[in-house]
Amino acid sequence: MVTEQQNDLARLGDAVGPALRPVGHQALLTGIVERIRELFSAAACSVALLSDDETELVFEATSGAGADAVIGQRIGVNRGIAGWVAGSGQAIVVADVSQDPRFDRELAESTGYVPRSIVALPLETERMVVGVLEVLDAGSVTGDTARDLHLLGILAAQAALALEGSLVFGRLGAELLAATGLAERPDRTRRPPGDPELAAIAGAFQRLASAGPAQRRLAVRVLEAVCDFGATSP
Amino acid sequence: MFDPDTLGRTAPLPLAEPTKEWAWGNADGAGVKVAVIDSGVDADHPLVHGLAGAVVVEFEPDAENQVRYVPGPHEDLVGHGTACAGIIRRVAPRAEIYSVRVLGATLRGRAAVFAGGLRWAIDNGMHVLNLSLSTGKSEWFGPLHELADEAYFRNIILVSAVNNVPGPSYPSLYSSVLSVAAHPGSDPWAFDYNPAPPVEFGAPGVDVEVAWLNGSNLEVTGNSFAASHIAGLVTRLLSKHRGLTPFQVKAVLQAMASNAR
Repeated sequence: MVTEQQNDLARLGDAVGPALRPVGHQALLTGIVERIRELFSAAACSVALLSDDETELVFEATSGAGADAVIGQRIGVNRGIAGWVAGSGQAIVVADVSQDPRFDRELAESTGYVPRSIVALPLETERMVVGVLEVLDAGSVTGDTARDLHLLGILAAQAALALEGSLVFGRLGAELLAATGLAERPDRTRRPPGDPELAAIAGAFQRLASAGPAQRRLAVRVLEAVCDFGATSP
Repeated sequence: MFDPDTLGRTAPLPLAEPTKEWAWGNADGAGVKVAVIDSGVDADHPLVHGLAGAVVVEFEPDAENQVRYVPGPHEDLVGHGTACAGIIRRVAPRAEIYSVRVLGATLRGRAAVFAGGLRWAIDNGMHVLNLSLSTGKSEWFGPLHELADEAYFRNIILVSAVNNVPGPSYPSLYSSVLSVAAHPGSDPWAFDYNPAPPVEFGAPGVDVEVAWLNGSNLEVTGNSFAASHIAGLVTRLLSKHRGLTPFQVKAVLQAMASNAR
């Protein structure tokens, strides 16, 4: 049974988690897709993450042709190659996507680049489906499609672990409750209600982590003044 | 990794004449029920030409085992299930193919739906299950293992595609299933046995042409297509040698493997 106090702690943990998230997460993710694109001489490489309600894949990091236009694009998990990969946990290579009646040509054209081939791999850990890794018009590294896929699989596993760590920080309080056996392990649709103000405070702490000592001292004085004011006002 | 170049040789069963002719010569898959547990199947595709039955498995949190079953024709949401059915049909033309659709609008409850698909296939008299799906979630190791064992003891053959991404992948890592990876080549009768499991068999799954949506064909690569090749061969084998157990099927396949001396 989870008490109200424990729920408060979970909310605080969820808010503070993002502040503790390793700095450079986005840079790491971008680095992964850039290296994979270079390694496979591909036109583009991207990572799409599963949305909170698990109905869509949202492009989080891209490199190469159409990269800027792809970021933030959403595709349903119930249609098409990427959705099948996320749902099945299996990798697939399609040699000519224009032959697939369900290929979203409109989305591709909106990015300014229409690929011929797609390699798609699941990003999955023992705890969750994270998303999908896609490589467009990849060349061969090993000269053998199956070996190329094996190599990409190793890279996808690394990327999935890095992403999982980041996602766990995003809901730290709920994860801690689950880890101590106080609550069911949270899934994406059963998070405790968040607190945007706590999240904003946590975000400010994260920025302060990279601030200079003078700024930190000032922040401490301001926070103490706010707390003193809160203690004396009705 | 399943590596066709480092397989070496494997000693086959000392059968008097372990030939493919004995195994599936003149067989056609008739009388064998195969469940394609996937994205749905387009029954009208020329390479599929017809299904014996179909059911959709949907996530229903309050229902028994968290799933509900919607029997009847349905569309293929992706094309993948149609591809698998087409491969099976090519090898076993008269197989009774059933589409068990386990993909839908959300991935929530995905493993429960997957398990529900297996449950339906076991309870409805399927002989061969074609599984292109897997989960790495540790909490599903036990429930899926129980289903795989139940199928095994009821002489139901589970053919499971292995995962390209290192890490847990259920049910493809269980010893009760036939786990399959893709290897080059287009000869549907040629496959390899891997003496270093958990991946046990390699079959055509690289740059293969398969059935897809709206009567189209696609050139694809993936372990799931290799699994369907083996599912088709097992279907053909069972139509000629009814009642073979899973371990007998594995033994025959091993004896027929291209790398068996």
